[in-house]
Amino acid sequence: MFVLSFLARRLAQGAVIISLVSLLIFTLLRVVPGDPVRLMVGGMAPDSLVEKIAAEMGLRDPILVQFGRYAGHVVRGDLGHSFVRPANGAATGGANFDDTTRGERAAVADLIRDALPMTLQLAALALVFALAFSALVGIAAGLRPGGAADKIAFAVSSIFISLPNFWLAIVLALLFSVKLGWLPAIGYGGFSYTILPALVLAVELSPVLIRTLSGAVAAQMSESYVTVGRIRGLSETRIVVAHVLRNAAVPMLNLLGVQFSGLLGGVIIVEYILDYPGLGLLTINAVLQRDFPLIQGIAIVTSAIFVVINIVVDLAATIIDPRLEY
Amino acid sequence: MGLDSLVALGPRPAEPEASRSVGRRILGRAARSGGFRIGLAILAVLALAAALYPDLSGIDPNKMDVRARLLPPLFGGAHWSLAHPLGTDQIGRDMLVRCLIGLRYSFLIGVASVALTLAIGCTLGMVAGYFGGRTDTVVMRITDAQLSIPMIILAIAVLGVSRPTIPAIILVLGLSNWPVYARVMRSVVMAERGREYVRAAQVSGASHARIVVRLLAPLLVPPLLFASVLDIARMMIFESTLGFLGLGVQPPTPTFGNIIADGRKYLLNAWWIATMPGLFLGLTLTGINLIGASCERARNAIHGGA
Repeated sequence: MFVLSFLARRLAQGAVIISLVSLLIFTLLRVVPGDPVRLMVGGMAPDSLVEKIAAEMGLRDPILVQFGRYAGHVVRGDLGHSFVRPANGAATGGANFDDTTRGERAAVADLIRDALPMTLQLAALALVFALAFSALVGIAAGLRPGGAADKIAFAVSSIFISLPNFWLAIVLALLFSVKLGWLPAIGYGGFSYTILPALVLAVELSPVLIRTLSGAVAAQMSESYVTVGRIRGLSETRIVVAHVLRNAAVPMLNLLGVQFSGLLGGVIIVEYILDYPGLGLLTINAVLQRDFPLIQGIAIVTSAIFVVINIVVDLAATIIDPRLEY
Repeated sequence: MGLDSLVALGPRPAEPEASRSVGRRILGRAARSGGFRIGLAILAVLALAAALYPDLSGIDPNKMDVRARLLPPLFGGAHWSLAHPLGTDQIGRDMLVRCLIGLRYSFLIGVASVALTLAIGCTLGMVAGYFGGRTDTVVMRITDAQLSIPMIILAIAVLGVSRPTIPAIILVLGLSNWPVYARVMRSVVMAERGREYVRAAQVSGASHARIVVRLLAPLLVPPLLFASVLDIARMMIFESTLGFLGLGVQPPTPTFGNIIADGRKYLLNAWWIATMPGLFLGLTLTGINLIGASCERARNAIHGGA
């Protein structure tokens, strides 16, 4: 019963966030300079043609009218069609400006459906790398604040957070692919292509995880239940694994929810540099091509994922720590 | 930096007179840590170099020298030259001077955009927290929405079509992170709003503006300044990312981002062009992050122990 009312409330809030995000993106795309029709028809086409096509596509209507029309389609599950990408794969150039048949354009939903699993795979692997490394370093640091492990963790996280992801991607590609030949780096041709971008993202993610984890573990270790556990004769391992880590997991979980858009920002850059065919590469190209429907579709899908992740995080937190109420 | 860590960093509802010296206490405590000193030393050396070397050496960052092209850094291979300690790029421009000029731009843009972020975030957060109600709802829903979209997308969308001038870059960077500050500020102001000294000021007829500007701001803004040190580093990374994508300060002005983007094309036969600016940037950011994180720790220790 509690879970149901919680879910209903959070889903309603989520719906508000998603509609705000799409309204925000929708408006910004149309306010900011850069005409998608100009890009579609190419620089040589006369202005009158640009205006004619734009009017046919409804791009000269008031923004709220356009948004209402768009929202009507989205509610019925139709994210629309890309402005520039044809359904058969290859990108269309600006030359064929007479081609306004919308049917041949790729459906936004299909484009996202193809790219999303690739990005989820990358994000999941990056999280595994980051969590494994942060757990190792962060827990050791948190158990003895001020000790050697703590100093190492502090230094490591300070250095990791200082490495720009695009630079790291280039350097690791140079090192692991070109010089050592251990890992493939550019494009995608199997699971091994995910490892290098995931390493880059893990380096970006781990500093915050390490700091939160070591802070949480250190805070829990000074709680009275730890002393009580010792008096009761529990082994140090059992106290840490069964009690301290369980309590320290809650702030970690919350952090993962908050870090989502940061992770997505990193994914976009790393995918673009390493030509990894996921949502990030799709996003950058869509933004550069002013592909309004595609950008809007991606924004809706990613904010929906953001909402779901944060609900799952809160639910998981209540399971770990039943005292929490939302 | 996650939101939670910032919220945890928000000043405790301590007595106003007791928190006056908190800024100094944090700084004093942080200054005793090794990380802070190392960070400060790194920054001092780099700042001096960036301020003095390009002018003292008299090397023009844009001067081409085809005979001295693609020279490796010191001891980095054959034909290195003392005149170009970090080597030269594909048209013989000195890497060290270019990196140092890039550092100037990166740091100034980073600091300016953080100042803008602080101004917007603190103002909106205080207004939302102080007045509550509908104002609060509107501001908070905007922060929700903005926090769920990666700002790099909006930055690319805006800077991709307009000419990326320095003010435009600062504006985009400054607008990217204000929700974090707005949220922290709001939660702190809400806690503070019902306290006696605020009530007393209200009863004695002080205007809302006066209360916010004279009473709340001096008390609540300084602690956020410590958190914002780490943000300078984030903004510098953001700036270099934009430069790398061709959306930052435009060539021929050297920036970390556009040097790395250039160097990427020569990666196989001249590894130093792409790697050196990254090392410079990484070193600078390590300095900033060591200082910022030491302050954060000192602050946690003081607030946790108080």
